[in-house]
Amino acid sequence: MYLLQTLQEFGRFLRDSEWLVNACCTVLRFVFPVLALWILVRCISSLLRFRKEPEIWGWLTLPDGTLLPVTHWENLIGRANSCDIVVDYPTLSKSHAVLTRYDDGSWSISDIGGRGGVAVNGKSESFCAINFGDVISLGGVEMSLEPVTQEDREEGYLERTKAGRRVRPAPTLLLLTLFQLLTAFELGLNIDLQGVGTVLLDFAALIALEWLLFFGLKALRRSGYEIETMAFFLITIGFATISSGNPGLLTKQLICVVIGIVIYLILGWLLRDLERAKKFRYVAAVGGIGLLLATIVFGTEIYGAKNWIFIGGFSIQPSELAKLCFIFVGASTMDRIVTKRNLISFIAYSAVVCLLLALMSDFGTALVFFTAFLVIAFLRSGSFAAVSLIVTATGFAGSLLLSVKPYIKRRFEAWGHAWDYAQTSGYQQVCAMMCIASGGLFGLGLGNGWLKYVAASDTDLVFAFVSEEWGLLVALMMVVCIAAIAFFVVRSASVARSSFYTIGACAAATILVVQTILNVFGTVDLLPLTGVTFPFVSNGGSSMLASWGLLAFIKAADTRQNASFAVRLSREGEEIHE
Amino acid sequence: MNKISHRAYFALILACVLLLGAVAFTGRYFAQADQWVGHSGNMHIYDNSGNLDVNLSIRDRDGTMLYSTQDGRTFADDSETRKAVLHLTGDRNGNIPSILLDEYGGDLIGYNKLTGLHGTVAQEGDEILTVSAEVQRAALSALGDYAGAVGVYNYKTGEILCAVSTPTFDPDNVPEIEGNPAYEGVYVNRFLQSTYTPGSIFKLVTTVAAIEQLPDWDSRTWTCEGSCKIGNDTVYCHGYHGTVTMEEALAHSCNVAYAQIAAELGEDVLKQYVSQLGICDRLSFDGYRTRAGSFTLEDSPDFDVGWAGIGQHDDLINPCQYMTFMGAIANGGEAASPYLVKQVTSNDKTTYQAKTTMLEETINARTARKLRDMMRNNVQTMYGAITLDLPVCAKSGTAEVSADGSVTNATFAGFIDDEDYPLAFVVVVENGGSGSETAAPIANTVLWECIDVLDAE
Repeated sequence: MYLLQTLQEFGRFLRDSEWLVNACCTVLRFVFPVLALWILVRCISSLLRFRKEPEIWGWLTLPDGTLLPVTHWENLIGRANSCDIVVDYPTLSKSHAVLTRYDDGSWSISDIGGRGGVAVNGKSESFCAINFGDVISLGGVEMSLEPVTQEDREEGYLERTKAGRRVRPAPTLLLLTLFQLLTAFELGLNIDLQGVGTVLLDFAALIALEWLLFFGLKALRRSGYEIETMAFFLITIGFATISSGNPGLLTKQLICVVIGIVIYLILGWLLRDLERAKKFRYVAAVGGIGLLLATIVFGTEIYGAKNWIFIGGFSIQPSELAKLCFIFVGASTMDRIVTKRNLISFIAYSAVVCLLLALMSDFGTALVFFTAFLVIAFLRSGSFAAVSLIVTATGFAGSLLLSVKPYIKRRFEAWGHAWDYAQTSGYQQVCAMMCIASGGLFGLGLGNGWLKYVAASDTDLVFAFVSEEWGLLVALMMVVCIAAIAFFVVRSASVARSSFYTIGACAAATILVVQTILNVFGTVDLLPLTGVTFPFVSNGGSSMLASWGLLAFIKAADTRQNASFAVRLSREGEEIHE
Repeated sequence: MNKISHRAYFALILACVLLLGAVAFTGRYFAQADQWVGHSGNMHIYDNSGNLDVNLSIRDRDGTMLYSTQDGRTFADDSETRKAVLHLTGDRNGNIPSILLDEYGGDLIGYNKLTGLHGTVAQEGDEILTVSAEVQRAALSALGDYAGAVGVYNYKTGEILCAVSTPTFDPDNVPEIEGNPAYEGVYVNRFLQSTYTPGSIFKLVTTVAAIEQLPDWDSRTWTCEGSCKIGNDTVYCHGYHGTVTMEEALAHSCNVAYAQIAAELGEDVLKQYVSQLGICDRLSFDGYRTRAGSFTLEDSPDFDVGWAGIGQHDDLINPCQYMTFMGAIANGGEAASPYLVKQVTSNDKTTYQAKTTMLEETINARTARKLRDMMRNNVQTMYGAITLDLPVCAKSGTAEVSADGSVTNATFAGFIDDEDYPLAFVVVVENGGSGSETAAPIANTVLWECIDVLDAE
């Protein structure tokens, strides 16, 4: 009690001395970019420099005695070099069969139209469960699947980079905590006195939350915490903008972070079991449509887009959560991708989603879904032609829409010419650029911005808000954060266990990136302003929940040793000593 | 899985777009942030009633105050000066924008792209122009009630001494402008932002082409019998010049001779020279971008080519750009880029200092010398209005702007070929009749004033 009082008095003393406040801010504006860079370099170097050593799940023995490693849960076998297991015998087809491993360690083989078919123990099969030692004949070439030995496993364990070994996550998180304490400190000096209590408490809660999650995952023997650290870094900056502009909303945002983490854990749990995840797809399909339908029926129109539902004082944006459902529907396993080449059911689903989004007339969200659709379609079909065709068709439809509905066109009139429309449709962008310029590279200090008085500054224009108060350097680092996550996803795609995870993670990363592109470039007039949120940073609960949900998909593809709770350890429960 | 993971690189395209866009924006930031920061909505530098916390002033080359942001907006002390520099300072309502102030907004308030506005906002910002208020007033008075433009600049340094556009008005005593024909287009800076049919001053361009492309140009003669047929049409001359050399043809501004020369050179050669000399290009300086001229021949009949070669047809020039062409002839083929802002100081610290740069378009030095001699001959033999005791070289023009030739713009362009007074000039008088009768005396008056100002320095 006494301590608290002393602290309070100390705080008042600091605030009352203008000289001290100025001195603190002057120093901190250089400290923040340095700390932020340090945190990011640690996270990103850990994410992008891990050794891509595949996990080995079994061995395939060929007639000549060669042992081929089986490195995924889904393996395309055939003569072509692009196959996962290349068996170069002339009687095999280029793509002959798919060998699949399941969560419980059982295996199956399916014929995908290989010449000469598939036979197991002499019996011709199109899809068949197999055991170790069974004689599998592909186009007459006989082979068998052998289990990995304890030795293999230990060797693999040592070879594979354990997440967090090279760059330890705890010191990074300590740096972030320091960053957060300094943020809260400067906010405490600069913002209105009545908000200070809430802001300090909420920052304390955020710090507690990130350590709780860290130790919780540690208890599960998972040590990959870079992506979460980056998410908390972005959240911290988002918290600071809310504290500066509207401290009354900070607690709500904190609660949404908690709910977001819960969603992240639940989704991660769902995803770690592939069979469970596959079954959940149907629930997700219905749920996604349901969320969008509900928006149309019960929704309220704001700024021309019907995107919000108000329930008892709370407003939610169900389309944010529909993104997660959309990824579930889009993800698919290898055997299905190879055997059913067509995308018809997914395209049909996307068309329905598209229609519903059109009814909501939320252009930004529609664009996010569309890009996610493109990436999923390409991952599944591998056809540039198809994807270009879709883009062209959509382009035509879009231009048609523009000519039919001139009011949509008007919304874009200021695009690229914001300064010519400074008083009307370009007002927000002009204010944003003016404030970015005012802030310089190092910012005017937290709480000292002016952009907060402009509508939607802590959501649509948050890049400029951050730039004004924190400086352009920190604002750019937020962008780098998102790009780094995408680079990591693509890098780890080659060692993912199932294409389901690869597709899910790529789609999730795409959504994060596209939202950032639309948000940032809309703010600075490189693109039209569409009102899409910056993941983790923008003030808004629904967006926060969705962002955490997207992280779960990314974690499910992170197969670095002991990295992710959304990935089962190679052999659950078994202690392997170093 | 291999296939899928290769396809995953598709997702990287977007991440690269994100990073490239961020880089592009950062580049834009470093190019333009000092203009963004001066936006009038910026509450870091403006108070709630829209007044600047900083006192910014625009001054002429002698330090005379032309415009200040004190007490809202304050203009020069006397009405004639206010009128003479209106198009450079802008008016009270933003109908004429204050481009020179906006362009250097960041420099004036002591803004710095690295540290932003943090703790660096100045109390005083001064922008010193290259123009002289005295010359401006002299030009305004010489133009009288005519609409038009007068420009004079130092072709060695690039300093613009005179940039007057009329009609104009007193921003502290705004007349009824709406619907008054005397104020038509009053918000446009005619010197920088409009284009005119050049008339015979364009013969200088044709002459450059002829000197370089017709091997025997200085021994040849042309015959003018008052008119001649080119193709199926007839070109009329304003006199009967008989047999003339090119020098005589230029001095008499003989349309018949020049239409024949132009037709002989042909469309492609003329277009090549227009482009090489930058006659129709835009100039960019101090936030201004001059209006582009035009020279539109496209497989045209010889008559059109001839007509275009004497500055009619669809020819359009911007006065400021044409002034730099004069500068290039004067300066041995290469002219300095013009500018209006000499220096910007913020709290007595210099934050911007103009530098002389040369324009890219050049003329062969020998050609420039020949042309200079011919233009000197023009003044000596034809333009009695020029009373200066200095080697003035010039060409006049009477540009027909109505189909029947009843409305003509008087044009006059040239330079002083003198080390101490290296000035190039252009005068355009709308509906002014003959170039040598109306525009030349205006040029004479303004040049006298310029020399007084330079002598006083």
